[in-house]
Amino acid sequence: MKKILAAILLVALCLSLFAFTGCNVSDGGATTDGGNGGSKDEESTTKEQIDVEVNPLPESLIYDGSAVEITFYHTMGANLRGVLDKYVEKFNEMYPNITITHSQVGSYDDVRDKISTELTAGNQPNIAYCYPDHVALYNLADAVVTLDDFIASTATVTKDDGTTETYGLTQEQIDDFIDAYYDEGRQFGDGKMYTMPLSKSTEVLYYNATFFEEHDLKVPTNWDEMEEVCKKILEIDPNCIPLGYDSESNWFITMCEQLNSDYTTANGDNPEDHFLFDNETNREFVKRFSEWYYEGYVTTQELFGAYTSGLFAATEGQRSYMCIGSSAGASYQRPDKNDEGQYPFEVGITTVPQISSDNRKVISQGPSVCIFEADDQEVAASWLFVKYLTTCVEFQAEFGMVSGYVPVLESVAEFAPYKAYIDSANGGSGITALSAKVCLEQKDAYYVSPAFNGSSEARDQVGVLMQYCMTQYKNVAGDDGAIDAMIEEAFMAAVEECIYMS
Amino acid sequence: MVNTKHPWKAWLYLSPAIVLLLIFTLWPIINTVVMAFQEGYSIQQASKGKEFEFGLDNFAYVIEYRGFLTCLKNTILLCVLTVPISTMLALLIAVCLNSIKPLQKFLQTIFFLPYVTNSIAIGMVFAAMFNVVGTVSAKEPIIQTWGIINNIIMFFGGEPVNWINAGSEYWANIFVLTVYIVWNALPFKILVLLGGLQSVNKQYYDAAKIDSTPKWRVFTKITVPLLSPMIAYVVITGFIGGFKEYSSIVGIFGEKMGPPGAMGKPLNTMVGYIYDSISRQQGRASAAALILFGIIFVVTMINLYVSKKKTHY
Amino acid sequence: MSDIAKSQVMHAKDIKQLSTQQTVAKILAKIAVYAFLGVMALIVLFPFYWMLISSVKSLDEYILAVPTFFPQEFHFENYIDAFTTANLGTLFLNTVYVGVVSTALSLVITVLSAFAFARLEFKGKNALFAALLATMMIPGELFTITNYITVSKLGWLNTFEVLIIPFLVSVFYIYLLKQNFMQIPNELYLAAKVDGTSDIKYLWKVMIPLALPTLISITILKMMGSWNSYMWPNLVADDAAHHLVTNGLRGAFVVEEGGMVNFPVQMAAVAIVSFPLFMVFLFLRKYIMKGVSRSGIKG
Repeated sequence: MKKILAAILLVALCLSLFAFTGCNVSDGGATTDGGNGGSKDEESTTKEQIDVEVNPLPESLIYDGSAVEITFYHTMGANLRGVLDKYVEKFNEMYPNITITHSQVGSYDDVRDKISTELTAGNQPNIAYCYPDHVALYNLADAVVTLDDFIASTATVTKDDGTTETYGLTQEQIDDFIDAYYDEGRQFGDGKMYTMPLSKSTEVLYYNATFFEEHDLKVPTNWDEMEEVCKKILEIDPNCIPLGYDSESNWFITMCEQLNSDYTTANGDNPEDHFLFDNETNREFVKRFSEWYYEGYVTTQELFGAYTSGLFAATEGQRSYMCIGSSAGASYQRPDKNDEGQYPFEVGITTVPQISSDNRKVISQGPSVCIFEADDQEVAASWLFVKYLTTCVEFQAEFGMVSGYVPVLESVAEFAPYKAYIDSANGGSGITALSAKVCLEQKDAYYVSPAFNGSSEARDQVGVLMQYCMTQYKNVAGDDGAIDAMIEEAFMAAVEECIYMS
Repeated sequence: MVNTKHPWKAWLYLSPAIVLLLIFTLWPIINTVVMAFQEGYSIQQASKGKEFEFGLDNFAYVIEYRGFLTCLKNTILLCVLTVPISTMLALLIAVCLNSIKPLQKFLQTIFFLPYVTNSIAIGMVFAAMFNVVGTVSAKEPIIQTWGIINNIIMFFGGEPVNWINAGSEYWANIFVLTVYIVWNALPFKILVLLGGLQSVNKQYYDAAKIDSTPKWRVFTKITVPLLSPMIAYVVITGFIGGFKEYSSIVGIFGEKMGPPGAMGKPLNTMVGYIYDSISRQQGRASAAALILFGIIFVVTMINLYVSKKKTHY
Repeated sequence: MSDIAKSQVMHAKDIKQLSTQQTVAKILAKIAVYAFLGVMALIVLFPFYWMLISSVKSLDEYILAVPTFFPQEFHFENYIDAFTTANLGTLFLNTVYVGVVSTALSLVITVLSAFAFARLEFKGKNALFAALLATMMIPGELFTITNYITVSKLGWLNTFEVLIIPFLVSVFYIYLLKQNFMQIPNELYLAAKVDGTSDIKYLWKVMIPLALPTLISITILKMMGSWNSYMWPNLVADDAAHHLVTNGLRGAFVVEEGGMVNFPVQMAAVAIVSFPLFMVFLFLRKYIMKGVSRSGIKG
């Protein structure tokens, strides 16, 4: 064993020497690398919101009725696959020559990893579920089809029954999309449309309506009211944590939007241009919320060590009376029925607290779909199918009701079965409908964050940053200078990590 | 060793293995080396025809990384802690299992069970045992549960420890990881050593019985030397695997490679670093892999040298 | 009674006392051994127990902040759900096919290679062995992309070949078996050579029986590997006809709302697919443990 230890020490020594020489090498290397990073972005010369030039679609990219097989990767569970199958069948009534094979690849990360490997051999699918940062990754290989020319196309295609439809999107169809969802496809810095929204979710504030009523509390609409109500709740029940927040990352990014302060940008030639979140405004709110954690007003899922929904839905022992979490997870926020078959308390759902009612902002998340480069007719058939899924009111309604996600079309709200579903909304058995209803009511407040290579790193880092400040606050509490220093240091470290990893 | 008249025979026996290794192992390794020396290599960009300059930039990038020394330290520390502990425990269990009569079959079966236990289940058990649920770092912490381990500690009058949650200390994290890795490694090592014990010639033991040699001496003078090829195997492969530690850290701490609220992945390892870069920065990932290779290679050579001197065939 | 006789009696008494002491020590040692094994067994057993109790919990109970160590209610229907949700029949057949074929081929390759390394002398043996060991030192994740390109050029995507062939050779197993072969006395090989026995016959008649416990261990490990592999099959053979158990199980139990996985049903499925492996082990265990007969072997 002694010898092994000695050997390890030797290796460590060699390595430290290696590290020393390595640093010298890198001084010269840094500039070259900066240059590399630059050339990557030059191709997509970017200024915010340039109007994208639309070219007429070449004839070969318009579906000609030939037999085509296309593949679709997603993450749908069994129930949703059932819904999808049903609408694939309906789609095939119109276009019987398009064969669609869809498969559930695993999680979102699995989809990304599989496709990024398949791209290297040109075996990627035709259509896939995607998050914005996935598309940024695929775009390194120029693999995602831009949709602007398809959307603008005024050509017509003939269905099996002889009727025709416009190949692109009509103005009416474009207008029907909820604006923020539609614009998400253009968040890649060059203003081009890369993705279509399929179904969406957001964050909402769940509160214990029975408790709030009992104690005559006001449901908070802004963060000052939130602080007030947390204090009051702690007076009523000292053994509780008034608010649970699922995701620190979402919290940070949403605050940036509400405060109009910088977070990230998709534009920039160098990695350091992208990460703008280290600023006074952001440090201030992090400080405020860290104090909240220290005072026991709030906890988050990871800091608490268990699901915050479990804390909220608890009916005895430690619990919370408010919870901010995904609108798609509403059924987990509901307490179990008691022996009489009643819900022990009623759940209320509302928009998350804001800074100002003039600048309401809530996050938009959930899957979009993108189309990959392939033979022209495969791309054409993929476009038709994507268009069908995203503009078909029946599909959007059924998918929304089964998944708990929100449809991306405004007209779905007027569609009778969905309307009936929304009308059934209540704080007990109709909780998923209630959640959807709240989402639909705040459709003007959605925002999306810029997507680029490194955007998911930024998202992770701001989450860790929040956690760090919340847990470290205890060690410096009472010393304002030390608190500021701790927070400044954390911000700098987070930015540095982001730059390195992108 | 034996000289055959036909040295080609050896190559014939080895040919299936060599052919497959050339295609599915050597070729990827060559590719890794090539990627490592192309500055800023990204396979996605390469697939659309981008060319990269030859150079050492990727290596510089890896070594320059502020977390590099952390990765290195954790990799080595976990290896040095877990390999000896798991080997000795496994040896002890194997020898004990081999020496008993009643319940032998039953106990052997139990020690095999971890093999058919899903890794998700193992991760969950750990979470349940060490996880503290509550606002640990608040002014007046509200604790829902301290976890089983802390409950046991408190039962004996000790102070509860924050093992893996927000604000926990490095040594506590390393302790939990060590237990977890040893636990994971045990069944395989027991199986190998038990198999090796069966191949040990029983006549040596009979001789020892006649001499009425004490048990401990039998263990150190007969069992260990005779089992030394298998022990050498377990140690050497243990070190190789140990340097590649990654999944057990993800199993307990998730991909943030540290407890919640810890900046800069304090528990990251070399392979963890490779994973971080592998989806976009294949050049850097390859360079890191080659650096790791260098370390493992040196350690393994030393191991082989030591084991050659100490192994009894 | 004479003095001599007296002292003889004393002596006998001493011996008797000594042997009682020895027996007591022996019993204490036995107790210590059993206590040690018992404690370790409990520790090792705990995750398995956890898997079983999780598989009969409800999802609500499963996600409780304070986990329960015994199910509040038994939801045996999880097993029925597991069976019907995933198409277990096909998954099973595929996995057994891939597992058996790749284990058999892998054993042949491993035995031949280990034999060459352990018993034959040829130029560059040590260098070659060091090179093989070196291949284990590069994290395999880096091989994935290159291997993916290779198999897709070979046209092997969505075939059984792609699930079997790339991972047939394991240096890990060759090394293990080589070590085991080297425990077997060299004289046996020389004797066989003198008798004019061919290598293959010697391998079959002497080496393999002697190394059987290790071969069985390798069999189990390889089978487990096929049973648990996920990343590679998911990448190269994702069509229903070639789905393996883990691919089928992952994501088969997604609860739609919020994308949460129905862990208890997943655990039930895992328990179902682990069961055959467990039986295989029970069946093979006696070979692992059967102490090989030693007739004709002199150390």
